[in-house]
Amino acid sequence: MALEVLLVEDSRTQAAQIRETLESVGLRVRVAYDGPEGIRDAIENPPALIVLDVKLPTMDGFQVCRRLKRNPATQDIPIIMLTEKTGPQATMTGLRAGADDYISKDIFASEHLINTLQELGILE
Amino acid sequence: MTDTLGPFHIRPPIMTVKVEDSMDIMIVRDTARRAAALLGFTPANRAQLSTAAATLAELVLKTGEAHTIQMNGVINGLKEGLQISSQASFLAGVSAANVLVALRSKLGDLVDEILLAGDETPTVIMVMWLNSGDRIEYHDE
Repeated sequence: MALEVLLVEDSRTQAAQIRETLESVGLRVRVAYDGPEGIRDAIENPPALIVLDVKLPTMDGFQVCRRLKRNPATQDIPIIMLTEKTGPQATMTGLRAGADDYISKDIFASEHLINTLQELGILE
Repeated sequence: MTDTLGPFHIRPPIMTVKVEDSMDIMIVRDTARRAAALLGFTPANRAQLSTAAATLAELVLKTGEAHTIQMNGVINGLKEGLQISSQASFLAGVSAANVLVALRSKLGDLVDEILLAGDETPTVIMVMWLNSGDRIEYHDE
């Protein structure tokens, strides 16, 4: 059975694009459209991987990442932050929150995402 | 090509990106990730290195200078790492100590070393060493 990814992304357009990338490599994708929904979803049904946006309504991706990493039910799930906030401070905030990678949403994002999935052992 | 740029010996991979406008920053970010992957850096360290390279490219571009960012492997004794460098002629004549304070304040968390080489045409050099321990301190705020 294909591994399942939880995508936390408030933009439906971007969620569709990222979903397409993940499904193209055989992963199943479910989407949460804000931070609290993502946290609930991850705890109730832990996925193999979480792809997390930073700019989210209600609670930003850094807060979501910290909460997931301190919950025993979700702390071991790899988290990849995929974001337009790519400055030094944002990058370090994401990594210090516990993200396994911090990827810029640019034209190379899909390729970098797939490379990291391979590196993390999500893809063979 | 000499086998040093700054104090360390250069080794492959050696990649360069000419930065002429803001679109090239994306290429710098991508190239740094690729170079870091070839050297065996973790995804988190790749993120740090690509951000450091892109930020350096942005800083130099903001002065209006087209420039070349070089990314190459380096060896220092038993240590191996990735070096990111760029000439920064706009820094000529500026106090090296002041420049280093500013660069380390902005980029110091992302890499292990930030150096300035050369006087007439200073070159900014940043290095992250492989296997230099877990440099990301987890913050559970």
